[in-house]
Amino acid sequence: MRGTLAVYEKEVATYFRSPIAYFVVAVFLLGTGYFFLYNVFLSGDATMAGTFQSMGILLLTVVPVLSMRLFAGEATGGTLELLMTLPLRPWQVVLGKYLGAVTILLVITAGTLIDLVPLYLFGKPETTTILAGYIGFVLLGMACLAIGQLCSALTQNQIIAAVLTAAVLLALWFVGHLQNFQAPTSGLRDLFAYLSLNLHFVDFIQGLVRTEAVAFYLAICAVALTLNAGYLEWRR
Amino acid sequence: MLSPHVTSPAPLIELESVSKRYGSRTVVHDLSFDVRKGEVVGFLGPNGAGKTTTMRMLAGFTAATAGRVRVAGHDMATDHTAAARRIGYLPERPPLYDTLEVAGYLRFVAKVKGVPRAAMPGELDRVAAACRIEPVFRREIYKLSKGYRQRVGLAQALLGAPDVLLLDEPTAGLDPGQIQETREVIRAFGEDHAVLLSTHILPEVTLICRRVAIIHHGRLLAIDSPAALQRAMEETERVTLEVTAPPDDLRRALLGVDGVSGAEVRAAAGRNGVMLADCRIERRDGVESAIARTVAGRWDLHRLERQQATLETIFLKYVHEAPEDPPV
Repeated sequence: MRGTLAVYEKEVATYFRSPIAYFVVAVFLLGTGYFFLYNVFLSGDATMAGTFQSMGILLLTVVPVLSMRLFAGEATGGTLELLMTLPLRPWQVVLGKYLGAVTILLVITAGTLIDLVPLYLFGKPETTTILAGYIGFVLLGMACLAIGQLCSALTQNQIIAAVLTAAVLLALWFVGHLQNFQAPTSGLRDLFAYLSLNLHFVDFIQGLVRTEAVAFYLAICAVALTLNAGYLEWRR
Repeated sequence: MLSPHVTSPAPLIELESVSKRYGSRTVVHDLSFDVRKGEVVGFLGPNGAGKTTTMRMLAGFTAATAGRVRVAGHDMATDHTAAARRIGYLPERPPLYDTLEVAGYLRFVAKVKGVPRAAMPGELDRVAAACRIEPVFRREIYKLSKGYRQRVGLAQALLGAPDVLLLDEPTAGLDPGQIQETREVIRAFGEDHAVLLSTHILPEVTLICRRVAIIHHGRLLAIDSPAALQRAMEETERVTLEVTAPPDDLRRALLGVDGVSGAEVRAAAGRNGVMLADCRIERRDGVESAIARTVAGRWDLHRLERQQATLETIFLKYVHEAPEDPPV
């Protein structure tokens, strides 16, 4: 546990000592602010639904930047050799790094809370719906980061890691659209719907916290992190 | 092949018929040797000989394809995390986090190595003093010079009082003063630990290593003390002299000395009348003094020097005589 904690603290310190975290947080909050104004002031509805949808897409662009350095950066910096030869098990490295990235995600999420101030000042939003949306956003972000961290472990090049992550995330985001090409009775139709990062998120935005959707995101995290740790051990 | 040990503590580093293949390319062939407590063993070889790969197998960064690697009694194939607690490892490139401060970086490594919270400040001070990095203790690592980076890497390896120290070219990039200080740290550490020191700086090995392992094309060519390697190297030794004398007379006089088996005489460039003589002598005492008496009695003897095989000549001899092994 102590090893995981040490890796976690090192990760968070590294994020905040490099410009990446500030840049990512700033871009994300600027983007979210813009979409918030656009959705709320133009439509006149006191809801976060449109903003959450935009936040989901913004997340797809921001996660590859956050996650690309997680392992590829260690490999190019020569520090992977340190991590893999210290008394740490691969899962401790994977978990410590992942929790560090999730911390940045939570900082980003907390930053968007400011949008709620005008919402509550000038309207009567549904608190439970907003809460569900935030739960969905954090779960979506956690799944995306787990995928990004796995991609980062597969290559030594940060750019390749970022592009690979973006490709996988976009594919999983839009895979739901493939439903339209299937016959209504096709089993693939359900599969495409089930694999979609987006379709599960929509449930949360509408205020539904479905066990199936929560389990979907957590399963992605578990599978990606397990593969990540297994890959590190296998490569030894 | 192993040099005799008066007391023979259990080896802390053991390699038994270890091989490492990457695809069809074999980088390390059937390598076996050990390092005991209280020993600094020099690991010599030209670039690409397999030194770094062997270091990485010992440190647990990569697994051996065949054979057994044991460090501090732990099998690295099954138990590398437990072994890691007892290993200090400085890879070829110091593994540093550029954006962290030196203190923060060392604290991270110490925490992972299980240094208790209460002992942390003392432990950091100890390694900082040993590696002379106090002046940069609060500085970010990306601002450090190459010499300091190397020493922060060494400090990291010393944290947590490991039993085994694996150092891959620890003095690379240091200035002469720093090299001397670093050697002192390694020598002191080696007194009651096991140290494997990879290098291609030969004098370093003669100065601080009890034994030397020479490796080439991934195969162990020799392992012994520097002195024993020197003895084995040459059955005869050489003496060189500078004398002002007629060349033919000098040559005859030298060959007349008991124990001299050959002599070559040539003029020293740019020094009128001074001859350089190169004699092959038998390995026994008193031959040099007999030469000195013979020559000094008749001519001006400027210099007389016994030539011993240096580690450099030994190393080159082993490497050149090794069967050429085409990279498979």
